[in-house]
Amino acid sequence: MSTDTRADEGGSLLARPLNWLETQSEEVYAYVLLAPAFLLLAVVAFYPLIETFRFSLLADAVASADPFGEFIGLDNYVDLLTGDTNFTQQFISISTTDSFPFVTFGAPFLQQALFVTLAFAILSVLFETLIGFGQALVLDQDFYGRRWVRVSIIIPWAIPIVIQGMIFFLLFNPTIGFGTEFMQWLGVFGDNPLSSSSDSFMIVLVADIWKTTAFMALLILAGLQSIDRGLYDVAKVSGASPWQRFRYITLPLVAPALLVAMLFRTMDAMRIYGLIDATAGCETVPSLTCLVIIALQNSRRWATASAVAFLTAVVISGFVVAYLLALRNSNGGVA
Amino acid sequence: MSADRPDGESVDEADPTVEMADQAKADEPELDRGIIEAWAAKMISNPDRAYRATFYVATVFFVVTTLFPFYWLLVVALTPRNNLSEVGVFLPAGFNPAAFVEVFQTLPFHRYVFNSFLIATIATVAVLLVGSLAGYVFGRLRFRGRNAMLLLVLVTSFFPPAAFFIPLNRLFNTNVDVLRPLISAGSLYNTPYAIFIPLSAIFLPLSIFILMTFYSQIPDGLEDAARVEGTTRLGALFRVIVPLSAPGVATAGVLTFISVYNEYFFSSLMTDGRPGNWAPMLEGILRFQGEFEVLYNLMAAASIVAVLPVAILVVVAQEKIVSGLTTGAVKE
Repeated sequence: MSTDTRADEGGSLLARPLNWLETQSEEVYAYVLLAPAFLLLAVVAFYPLIETFRFSLLADAVASADPFGEFIGLDNYVDLLTGDTNFTQQFISISTTDSFPFVTFGAPFLQQALFVTLAFAILSVLFETLIGFGQALVLDQDFYGRRWVRVSIIIPWAIPIVIQGMIFFLLFNPTIGFGTEFMQWLGVFGDNPLSSSSDSFMIVLVADIWKTTAFMALLILAGLQSIDRGLYDVAKVSGASPWQRFRYITLPLVAPALLVAMLFRTMDAMRIYGLIDATAGCETVPSLTCLVIIALQNSRRWATASAVAFLTAVVISGFVVAYLLALRNSNGGVA
Repeated sequence: MSADRPDGESVDEADPTVEMADQAKADEPELDRGIIEAWAAKMISNPDRAYRATFYVATVFFVVTTLFPFYWLLVVALTPRNNLSEVGVFLPAGFNPAAFVEVFQTLPFHRYVFNSFLIATIATVAVLLVGSLAGYVFGRLRFRGRNAMLLLVLVTSFFPPAAFFIPLNRLFNTNVDVLRPLISAGSLYNTPYAIFIPLSAIFLPLSIFILMTFYSQIPDGLEDAARVEGTTRLGALFRVIVPLSAPGVATAGVLTFISVYNEYFFSSLMTDGRPGNWAPMLEGILRFQGEFEVLYNLMAAASIVAVLPVAILVVVAQEKIVSGLTTGAVKE
């Protein structure tokens, strides 16, 4: 009763819609409550995604006030995929260092960006899975100080991308960082790694592994902890070695959680931009998102940028579908 | 000989080991060799010990690799400017804590950090409010199209922000006369709105997912009891369901705050980088990198200042972070 009077005191402006809500069916109520969330998603995600696709079908109008020209269909995509698109500014460092694997001077820039993005995504997810598994196995044990080990493993994951970039920028700065010297001692890096594409690619890769392995570790740990401990006792009694226990119990039971974690990480890795921008710069290690920004800011080719952005979304969707199929298979195998 | 048997109690087990070690000694003159081989042989005869040792080595390795970069940042920050080229790996070349004051004098870095805090707080409140409504619906109500709509929410988080950026950038740069009384320029560019609106939407799906999981676990009876008492439907949500799911709300809040504070893409593109125009912390850090090319100690000091809030949050709320990340994924 008290709430009713309070609602009345609040004025009919608030009370009337609330009363109306009371009289509606559960289904209408559900749609009303979902409205704010879907409004936000529509403004920020659905509408821009459709607009990006529409923009990508228009011509670039570099000189005019409106950056979009007439409708040209899929020509932007054709030009991108056949390598006919050229920016006024080419990727200088790639041409000067020419040490970047598989990418040679004059190669179409979409090919370069696609290579950088895919290589980065595959390598980073691979290493993060392996190291994350190691961290998860450590955290799965009971030991004194486990809480603090977990904190120290999570902290890199929780820091801002710009600071992750700053740490590795300083580490591989030739004046103050010891990273360059160390890598040269190993015989890998040149004198100024942050201006060489291949060296910078490795730096970005290591920086990403350092920061996001914790995410993999936590998800794998959740999978590990859902395994029935009794299974290990049975295996021990039957004389299975620790390796066999890992291979025949842990691995298959963790597989679904592992695949979900890898899916999340792959999607995230394919958006790589901030880390590159804060360390080596987009011209040195051009990822797909970098390409969008370069096309927008340096050459004002909005339509081409839209086409690259939409292609990025398409490539990521392809990976998502592949993972979902793999996940369905792994679930079917267990069940 | 005693060097071969560091601990006396395992003499009996170690006997064959000692013989092996002696043989090894005959081949190789070094004394150390005997200890290592004895140790290795002990590991082989007692594998559990070997696994235990591997475990400790791995733990120490992980802790050192994750924390060392932060320690080294501190080393760089404490090194005086003139000695920066001599900065070591483990110890600073000199001691100059004044760098932590200079950070705020060289640039209004506190303003950048304040902007970031403000944007992250508004986004967190918005996400919790909108996400609570949606999480309640997905977690507790039955209606047509539930699965399709949930899938739509999830799919949003798959897309790269670059695919949203170009139309949003255009939208936020458009002058809207309705906004003039609120915002002098008439467009959302260079305002906190231009950052927190996209970021709220991008991190909304994860929060909806977490809140949905927590809200669905509250027994129906509690909600029914509140309704019988005369609470409105929304009253039952905000006075019964949300307070009872406090850990879940805290989890979603902490994750959203950290994600928005740490975000790079929209944060770097939606303002012109001036602190008065609501540029977030990241622009401050990038200005140290771009404008003050040799002040490495200030870059390091600014990074430490900006990391501290999230580091404290992780120490305080690590359980929340772990549970939030894992419900987000395992529930799939």
